[in-house]
Amino acid sequence: MAKLEIVNVSKSFGSLEVLRDINLRIEDHEFVAIVGPSGCGKTTLLRTIAGIETPDRGTILVDGRAIDKPGADRGFVFQQDSLFPWRTVWQNTIFGLEISGRIDEETKKRTRELLRLVGLAGFENYYPTQLSGGMRQRVNIARALAINPEVLIMDEPFSALDAQTREVMQLELLRIWLQGRKTVLFITHQIDEAVFLADRVVVLGRRPGRIKEIVPIDLPRPREFGIKRDLQFIAYVDRVWSLIENDVHDSVREDAVALN
Amino acid sequence: MADKQGGDDIPRRKSSFLAKRSSSASALSIIGGLAIWEFCGRFLVKNSLFLATPSQVVEEIIELARTGELGIHVWASAQEFVIGLSIAIVLGIAIGFVMASSRIGEQVFGPWVTALYATPTVAISPLIILWAGIGVWSKAIVVIINSIFPMIINTDAGLRATDKHLIDAARCFGASRLQIFWKVSLPSAIPFVLAGLKLAVGRGLVAVVVAELFGSRAGLGYLLVQAAEVFNMPRLFAAVVILAVTGIVLTALVGRLERFLLPWRFVGQESK
Repeated sequence: MAKLEIVNVSKSFGSLEVLRDINLRIEDHEFVAIVGPSGCGKTTLLRTIAGIETPDRGTILVDGRAIDKPGADRGFVFQQDSLFPWRTVWQNTIFGLEISGRIDEETKKRTRELLRLVGLAGFENYYPTQLSGGMRQRVNIARALAINPEVLIMDEPFSALDAQTREVMQLELLRIWLQGRKTVLFITHQIDEAVFLADRVVVLGRRPGRIKEIVPIDLPRPREFGIKRDLQFIAYVDRVWSLIENDVHDSVREDAVALN
Repeated sequence: MADKQGGDDIPRRKSSFLAKRSSSASALSIIGGLAIWEFCGRFLVKNSLFLATPSQVVEEIIELARTGELGIHVWASAQEFVIGLSIAIVLGIAIGFVMASSRIGEQVFGPWVTALYATPTVAISPLIILWAGIGVWSKAIVVIINSIFPMIINTDAGLRATDKHLIDAARCFGASRLQIFWKVSLPSAIPFVLAGLKLAVGRGLVAVVVAELFGSRAGLGYLLVQAAEVFNMPRLFAAVVILAVTGIVLTALVGRLERFLLPWRFVGQESK
């Protein structure tokens, strides 16, 4: 049985068709990345999986159970502005546990271990404003893992970081992921990031958002930076790029028209 | 772990050096101002009907304190101010909350708030005194109608300004509407509410004095108007100085409250 299953999901806002017949099965311990140009409905798909948006048709299943509202079986990592500025690193990390009323000695101990795992031991009493962008994303990851979810869903978590920090964080994420091998759904617009991290890359097309192709990435793990110079890696990036190239041109052209 | 990450992981801290320098600059500025004032009073403006020197003012304040008059007036004004401001805070936050959280609430209170916020409500204090007499309550009411609007407007704005990303994040963690209010909207509104409180304190202080000018038996405004009638300049200035100092102290208290309620806004700039 698949860990996370998206079955025939379609969604429109008024006359605008955003998602059409999305079907995706993500197995346990699998790392799947979704890439697509702007306007491919990534955000809507994510909100649907979160259970804060209802699809017009289709279902989302976690461990075979249909979901209709947010729950602790899914952990979310967002862009860096989603940490609560008035909470310390520790208070941010236990937010999910607090919401579901699961704070006890055991979950606290687990959370402390998580903070050590993401490299933030000793920073428990810092506020987000005192942290660099990379550190804030570590908190974000710890916060999502603290509720011990079945699936970790990451929405362009590194897009606001500078290029070097982003590379470091990609490597860090793989290191953290190898510890527990959670099922991960990783949304990004960065093709090399998707290929570097994932077991499979799902390429979305735009208007309406639909799955164009799923590219399995057959690269050995653990992966290091060097792999990005590997010919096979470059071939994968090329392949994904060729799949979305026309869509990206369209979306850029539309943006230009919108500006004029 | 963290020390291996390089530049990415160095926590940012602001220096308190600038803060210290600017505080000694304000001390110098105040001392300089007092010196110029003393000089003008002694050598330039000879007529004591127009100006009292700082030393005369200090003497007068000591004298007023000795006879117990000062205590009576400060106590009268303080009562009016505290009663009025407390009611304005509680009622203002409540109304602001209702406006932010319900459409009907906004439609009911909105027009009144917009209309009255810009009206110089101190101007109607004679009317209030006519209605409510010259006791404590008339002044308290004047304070309320002056201080409540910044509280309402800022509470409303603060609750509305809650970052949508934060609300979405909380929802994804399964937070209920009530949890979102307590754990997201409210804490993110507190800076706005405190900014409103600063305005309310300033407006309330003005309101107390102005209301006392129009009719009272005690209070700093009363002291002021009495002194003015007999051209007792040292006493008039004494009242003004006490009000100014009160303003500074109250602002500092709100600042303390900010540091206490919003520690995350002050991290890195250690207190002096």
